[in-house]
Amino acid sequence: MDKVVNLLERLQAVLGTGGLLTDTASRRVYARDASHFQLGLPVAVTLPGNGNEVSKVLALCAAAQVPVVCRGTGTGLSGGALTPEGCVVLGSGRLRDLGPLAVAQRSIHVEPGVLNESVSRRCRAMGLEFAPDPSSQAAATIGGNIAENAGGPHCLRHGVTLQHVRRLEWCDASGRPFLTGRGLSVERGLDLVSLLCGSEGTLGVITGADLALIPVGSAVRTMLAVFPVLDEAVNSAVALIGSGLLPVAIEIVDQTMLGAVEEAFGFGFPTDVAAAMIVEFSGNEAAVEADAASAQSVLTSGGAREVTLAGDEQERAALWRCRKKAFGAVGRLAPKYVTMDVVVPLGQLPQLVRDIQAIKARFKVEIATAFHAGDGNLHPGIHYDDQDPEQTKSAHAAAEAIILRAMSLGGSCTGEHGVGIEKLAVVSRMLDPVTASLQQGIKDVFDPAGLLNPGKMLPALDAEYAAAAVVPAQLRIDWESLTVTAPADLPVAEMQAALMERGLWVPVGAWLPGKGGQWGLARAGTVGDLVMDLVPGPGLGAWGAVRDLILELWAETGDGRLFHTGAPVYKNVAGYSLAQALCGSGGVFARPRAATFQLRPVPPSLGLWVCEHPDGGADRRNLLPLFKALRAHQNAFPGRVAILETDGERLQGPLIMLVPGTDRPWDLGALAAVLKSEREKIGCRCLRHEVLTFAGSVDQLAREKVLPQWASSAPTWTTLTQRLEDQDAGIDDMPWAARRILCQFSPRICWLPETAVSDRNWHADIIRHRGHRTELPVPTGEVPLAILRGLKNLFDPQGKLSRPGWLVP
Amino acid sequence: MTTPAVLGELKQLLRSCVQCGLCLPTCATWAATGNEVLSPRGRLVLMESLLAEGGKALDPGDLQAFDQCIGCRACETACPSGVPFSLFEYGKMLAAKSRRAGSLPHERLSVPNWLLHRLDRPAVLRVLKALAPLAVAAPPSVARLAQSLPTAPERDQDLMALLARLTGGGGVGPARFPRPTQDDGIEVSFFSGCANAGLMPGTSRRLAELLCGCGCLVRIPAAQGCCGALAAHTGRYSDRKRLHDQNRRAFGGNASRPWIVVEAAGCGAELKEQMDFGGAEILDATEALGRLILPTMRSVPLKVVYHAACHLEHGQQVREQPRALLRGIPGLELVEPEDAALCCGSGGVWSLEHPDLAAEIGRQKARALLDTGAQLIVTTNPGCLGQIRGALAALGEELPIIPLSDLIWYACMT
Repeated sequence: MDKVVNLLERLQAVLGTGGLLTDTASRRVYARDASHFQLGLPVAVTLPGNGNEVSKVLALCAAAQVPVVCRGTGTGLSGGALTPEGCVVLGSGRLRDLGPLAVAQRSIHVEPGVLNESVSRRCRAMGLEFAPDPSSQAAATIGGNIAENAGGPHCLRHGVTLQHVRRLEWCDASGRPFLTGRGLSVERGLDLVSLLCGSEGTLGVITGADLALIPVGSAVRTMLAVFPVLDEAVNSAVALIGSGLLPVAIEIVDQTMLGAVEEAFGFGFPTDVAAAMIVEFSGNEAAVEADAASAQSVLTSGGAREVTLAGDEQERAALWRCRKKAFGAVGRLAPKYVTMDVVVPLGQLPQLVRDIQAIKARFKVEIATAFHAGDGNLHPGIHYDDQDPEQTKSAHAAAEAIILRAMSLGGSCTGEHGVGIEKLAVVSRMLDPVTASLQQGIKDVFDPAGLLNPGKMLPALDAEYAAAAVVPAQLRIDWESLTVTAPADLPVAEMQAALMERGLWVPVGAWLPGKGGQWGLARAGTVGDLVMDLVPGPGLGAWGAVRDLILELWAETGDGRLFHTGAPVYKNVAGYSLAQALCGSGGVFARPRAATFQLRPVPPSLGLWVCEHPDGGADRRNLLPLFKALRAHQNAFPGRVAILETDGERLQGPLIMLVPGTDRPWDLGALAAVLKSEREKIGCRCLRHEVLTFAGSVDQLAREKVLPQWASSAPTWTTLTQRLEDQDAGIDDMPWAARRILCQFSPRICWLPETAVSDRNWHADIIRHRGHRTELPVPTGEVPLAILRGLKNLFDPQGKLSRPGWLVP
Repeated sequence: MTTPAVLGELKQLLRSCVQCGLCLPTCATWAATGNEVLSPRGRLVLMESLLAEGGKALDPGDLQAFDQCIGCRACETACPSGVPFSLFEYGKMLAAKSRRAGSLPHERLSVPNWLLHRLDRPAVLRVLKALAPLAVAAPPSVARLAQSLPTAPERDQDLMALLARLTGGGGVGPARFPRPTQDDGIEVSFFSGCANAGLMPGTSRRLAELLCGCGCLVRIPAAQGCCGALAAHTGRYSDRKRLHDQNRRAFGGNASRPWIVVEAAGCGAELKEQMDFGGAEILDATEALGRLILPTMRSVPLKVVYHAACHLEHGQQVREQPRALLRGIPGLELVEPEDAALCCGSGGVWSLEHPDLAAEIGRQKARALLDTGAQLIVTTNPGCLGQIRGALAALGEELPIIPLSDLIWYACMT
């Protein structure tokens, strides 16, 4: 007791008035969250006002060996913020600084207590937004979003929170502050951001974050489709994704949920239908118009009784408000509900929905379901009266049956709500024993005394685990679920070729590797190399790095223990994001054996422009207006690549521009107009312009020697990405002294066949330097060396995995 | 102290809260402190034990949390689960009684109790208004109080001069009193409220003129009293009942007219919630004006930010009408502040009972209003007007704030 009194006195000295709450009322309030569980009472609630105070609180608690539970606004549904008896709550209620906003870098710095919705509200005027939009976004904090790796409807197209966090400021259990991530577009090394994001406060405490922002589409179409039959709605969602359209969101609510929402908000939904679906497209006006029309025919032929477009922004906002407040509205149906968060491979969604109907009948329970249908994530909510013991028992039994069924269909017990305490009993069945011991090992490395959010997320050692991992030996494509599983030794070329037969690919690297997978820019040899080297490639139409696309990984530790992590689903927060963390770690922690990736439709066309200055060689500064114009349009035309050959001040060879897209007036046609007008202003001639078929075009261009030889075959190159903290330096600050450059405008990356002579404003990072030892760049901020060493020791205790120059301190 | 039947009913209501937390960002006390005890969901957690103990708090913190609730009802609007505000009212009632009994620890008051309990008397307010200019030399706490007194130009010329200056307009002529827009005008009773009557009589008069200009036959019952809200805020429930009776006599009976037009949002919320005048419909002034044909409006080329008074926005659920009136003024650009749903921290006499918390909430609201870049603030409640005026003064900023009805009067009648 003295220990606690002493701790409280010290905390008071650090936190001052309003920063420490020890009265019974406060302790009772902070013992609860949006889950319907309860553990014990905390001894105190701390509300630090800055990162320094967070650090001190953690240090004091660590010294007193008192556990710490982090909390945002307590909107979590899995009990992640619940308090074990006697812990200290570390609340982010006073950590709410927002900004500055770096428009050119599409990034904003936030403290963890900032509300999700405030971020997008702040950025929208600049045409940017923060993509993750959990239904609780009006009240949920960024700190909580990061801790839970939150999703939301719009993650279908844009990815979950992890894919939108660039850099984290955080403290370990003892209060030591660190800065992880350099804020670059491409970054290699064991990714601690991936481990921290989704770790439910068990590894570290986030004190600040640089978030990546995405451009707001200039036009939006939001459609409401109503279906007389639930199965038909679900099948239509699968058909929509399969049709090659890329909606930003596909949501379904079933009849029960619809009734509650209608009662709460009176939107005017028909309540006599079995399901309502919201589909949203975002992009430029003509494109969304065309997409919406295609979607309408898919939905109508799929059985939709009626498909209507939201008339204006107000109607659209009202639609989303209904969807996002749906769960609160369920409170009108019964006093309690248990919400599940299962996710299955998309192709299995119709089966799961049918099984849920059967479970509903078997247990005689009422279920209201909201689906993030596009990514196979379902939230069946079983509502019941907790004063009726029979109802309570059936509700929980039915919930378990649904979760087990989803897992048996290859899914996960949680897509975005987290494990918390709610899913401790089931999450172990998704982990093989080696993965479970690695997860516990990671926890022990970060928090040896086990003080951070104890009793959450990690199942007990004697729990029931999955069978030992079996490595897939062959390429396996799930066309319906849009995933591919490939053994690590398979050439990437073969995998992509197989996928392209049906117009799909793993969208990394534009330079399609030839048979045999010879080395070249973005021509990773094998699937294993792709994963371990985090090959970015000039992302023609790409969606980001391999880390954003990997779903599942089979790998072997340095001492030969085989493990499997992840699941073949688009969203999964059952355990630490080990596959993502190991992605790009250079193979010095584990050897990959196989991996599963998301698939995306291949862009249909590739626009090509070859330009030249009239006098044959231009002052490079003359090109600035052209580049600036391109950057100004980067929201509309992502994935632009330019190839320059320069000799210091003078531009030597032609300027080659490659842009993926559709051969339509509003897409590549519109870009052609922009380029033409800008080109004419600087007197630049166009030697060649055509629109090629995307698949095979790169090989064709290489044959015609349009692409420089080095771009497809040089063994060594350097990537440069602009540092986050720089102001919009502009193209002028590129390292022009290099003779040849390949640059991409979104994200802003340059490739050079030789080492850059100047890295002012730019950060050099070696992708691969075969046979040579290279110095790795020095990361900014304090590196958690002890943690990296601990992790290396965990995965490779005998130090068998090594690679010159890779991030092993 | 509370009957078992009532307790049972409240317990049942409490079960409708699913603890989703969507109420938090709309609660001004949470936003200002980051402390969840001062959030709607936090208060409902405490309500569980209050109800279990038959309305007796085990912990003073339980009642304090309700004492610190402004009563803005923004949480009720935000709640998807339909948790009624009556739960909070019950908590606030217990807290007010406990405070009155002297058993509730609280912040020091910014005015003495004897004065606090007399602020619903126009005569007292008139005295304060007369004394306010002297407060410049007073201690800072008194000066702050004086700056928070709701005011509006008493003389039409002053209002016209202010708006002419803001719009960069030329000379100001006399008010034009256009011919009534309707001949068979509706008969209305006018409820001005104690703050308007005592502190802003010019505004009351102009609103009555405006109603006449729209063809209404306006009666202002001399026997009207305070609506009773302030008495309830300070735990004087018998006074509240007396005032209700007084108003029932003044507005009811044979003199009953189809509309009772209420000038201040706070009074309107209390009257709509607590009173029944038989056939008469209680309308906020903006609701009434929205139903009438207004005289042709002059152009007012200004960027105007509307501060929605909680008692109108949440208490009366009147949202569209005031905005529609403003949008109807030619040349006017209407903007809304960030976190528009948040209360300004006035809450009747709440700001006087919780001066520090109210100052912080007011500061955040003033900041949000300033950030819009508007040239003028309008609102519909004298409490908000005073609170925001004081908060702006504390920040050293000069952004004029006037009653919404004064702006409409200016557009229609000059």
